[in-house]
Amino acid sequence: MSFWVTVIRQVGRNLRQTWGSQLMTLLTVSLSVLIFAFFYLIYTNMLSLGDKLGDDLTLIVYLEEEPGPELQQQLIKKITTFDEVEDIRFVSSAMAYERFAGQLGQNEDVLDDMPKDFLPPSIEVIPFKNLRSLNQVKLFSAYLAKLPGTLKVQYGQEWVERFYYFTKLLSIVVLLSGTLLILTTIFMVAYTIRLTILGRQAELELLKLVGATNNYIRIPFLLEGLLQGILGSSIGIAALYTLFHWIRIRFSGPGLLNLFEFSFFPPVVTITIIGVSILLCTLGSYSTMHKFLRI
Amino acid sequence: MKNNTAEPPGTMIEMIKVSKLYPPDVVALKDVSISVAVGEMFFIIGMSGAGKTTLLKLISSMEPPTNGLIEISGNPIHQLKGYKLARLRQKIGVAYQDFKLLADRTTAENIAISMEVSYKKPSIIRRRVKDLLAQLNLTDKHNTITGELSRGEQQRVTLARAIANSPTMILVDEPTGNLDATTTEKVMQLLTKCNKSGATIVIATHDDSIYRHTPHRIMELRAGRTYSIVGGNGT
Ligand SMILES: Nc1ncnc2c1ncn2[C@@H]1O[C@H](COP(=O)(O)OP(=O)(O)OP(=O)(O)O)[C@@H](O)[C@H]1O
Ligand SMILES: [Mg+2]
Repeated sequence: MSFWVTVIRQVGRNLRQTWGSQLMTLLTVSLSVLIFAFFYLIYTNMLSLGDKLGDDLTLIVYLEEEPGPELQQQLIKKITTFDEVEDIRFVSSAMAYERFAGQLGQNEDVLDDMPKDFLPPSIEVIPFKNLRSLNQVKLFSAYLAKLPGTLKVQYGQEWVERFYYFTKLLSIVVLLSGTLLILTTIFMVAYTIRLTILGRQAELELLKLVGATNNYIRIPFLLEGLLQGILGSSIGIAALYTLFHWIRIRFSGPGLLNLFEFSFFPPVVTITIIGVSILLCTLGSYSTMHKFLRI
Repeated sequence: MKNNTAEPPGTMIEMIKVSKLYPPDVVALKDVSISVAVGEMFFIIGMSGAGKTTLLKLISSMEPPTNGLIEISGNPIHQLKGYKLARLRQKIGVAYQDFKLLADRTTAENIAISMEVSYKKPSIIRRRVKDLLAQLNLTDKHNTITGELSRGEQQRVTLARAIANSPTMILVDEPTGNLDATTTEKVMQLLTKCNKSGATIVIATHDDSIYRHTPHRIMELRAGRTYSIVGGNGT
C-alpha cells in the first residue's frame, strides 16, 4: 500500500517538475501513433477493398472460333495445367450476343442490324484467390494468350496494376511511419526521462545514500514511460477515430467513398497498437535508466 | 551510560588498517583500526582536515577505502551492491557535515525521505516528523523550504533526517557547529535518547563542550592517523 503511495507521489513530482517536456513527449507519441494508425487504417481498408474487387476478377480469353466439345476439353486441360482455377465458363457468340442485348435493355433495337455472331466467343476463367496477386495474374494471362486460337486476353490490367502498386506504396508508407513511431516513442521518452534524471541528480544521489533500492528509484520512471505510452497512444487512436467519423459523416450518401465500406480497426488491432506503444515507451524509459541510474 | 548486558554486545563497526588516499597524493586516513560495539557512543575528534569526515564517509560506504577492511555488523560493506547495500544503508542514518538537504523541499519532506525509502506508512511518517521537529525546536518550520532556513536550523533538519528512520547506527558529522549552548544541549539529549534505545552512535566533532565530560570513548585523529583513544570503560 504505502509502496504505491510513495511511488505515485514520486511520479507526480516528476511530472510537475518537467511538465513542459512531458507534454511535448505526449504530443509526439500521440502524433506518431496517429500518423502510423492513419496509414495503417488506409492500408487495411485497401487490402479488404482489393479482396472485394478481386472477387470479381475474371480473365476473359477471346477466341477466333467457336470451340467444339473436344477442343473445349482440350482447352480446359491446358488451362488447368498452369494452375487450378475456380471456374471455367465457355461463352459462345450467341450467348455473348444475348448478354449484351440484356445489358442494353430498352435500347436493344440498336442490335437489330447486327449479325447474331458479331461478338467473338470467349472463355471466362475465374482464378483461385491465391492466384490473384498481380504477378500471377500477369503470368497467367500471358500463358492464356499463347493458347491456340486465342485473339486476346482481358482482365482489366489497368486498375489491377494501379491498385497493386498503390497498395505496395502504402505498405512502404506504413512501414516508414511504423519506424517513425518506434523511434520517436523510444527516443522522446528516453530523452524526457533523462532530462528529469539530470534535473534531479542531487536528489537521486541523496536517495541512494539514505538507502533507496534500485526499484524505489526506477519504478517511478518506468511508470512515467508507461503513462506516456497509455496516454499518447490512446489520444492518437482517439484522434484517428474522431477523424474517421468526421470523414464518414462528411462523405456519407452517394459518392465515391460509398463505393466500398470504409471500416475502423477491429478492437484487437486497436488494443495491439496501444499495447505496442506502451511497450515502446516503457522500453525507452528502461534504456535511459539503465544508463543513468545504478547503485 | 549503563552496560548491564550479560554477554558482550556484538561489534557494529570493525575497521582494520584502513587507509584512504585521494589522488594525487592526499593521505586522508592512514592505517586506522577501530572497533565500535553495538550500542556504543563513540567520538571522533581532531583538527580540521584530520580525516574525521573521511572516516564517516568510509563507514557509510559513500567512498571506498584505498586499503584495509571495513565491516558493518559483520558485512564487508564495500563489497555489497544493489538491494543488500540499500537495505544496509536504510539502517545507517548519516547527518552530513554539508547537510545534503534538498533546498527546494520543505523541512517535513526532507525528513520524510529517509523513511519513504523503506516504505513507511504516510501516517507514521507524518507523526514521526512532527515529533522530531518538536524535539529539535523546529515545529514552526514544518512547511518551510529548507533553502530558507538558517544554518543552525538546517543542521538540525539534517540530524532529524538521519535519525527519523530509527537506524541501528547513526553517524553525525559536526552536529553542533552552528548552534548555541542551549540548542547544542537539546541535540545531545536527542542523540543520547537514540543511544539509550539501542542505536550505535558515532559523532565527529571539534566542539569540546559535547565530549569534555563524556564517559564514552574518544578517538583523536591527527593527519589521518589514530593519535589516541581514551575514555570508555575498557570494553
Ligand atoms: N574528495 C576529496 N578529494 C581530495 N582530498 C580530499 C577529499 N576529501 C577530503 N580530502 C582531504 O582529506 C583530508 C581530510 O579531510 P576531512 O574532510 O576528512 O577532514 P575533517 O577532519 O572532516 O575536517 P573538518 O573538521 O574541517 O571537517 C583533508 O586534507 C582534505 O583536504
Ligand atoms: Mg569534516
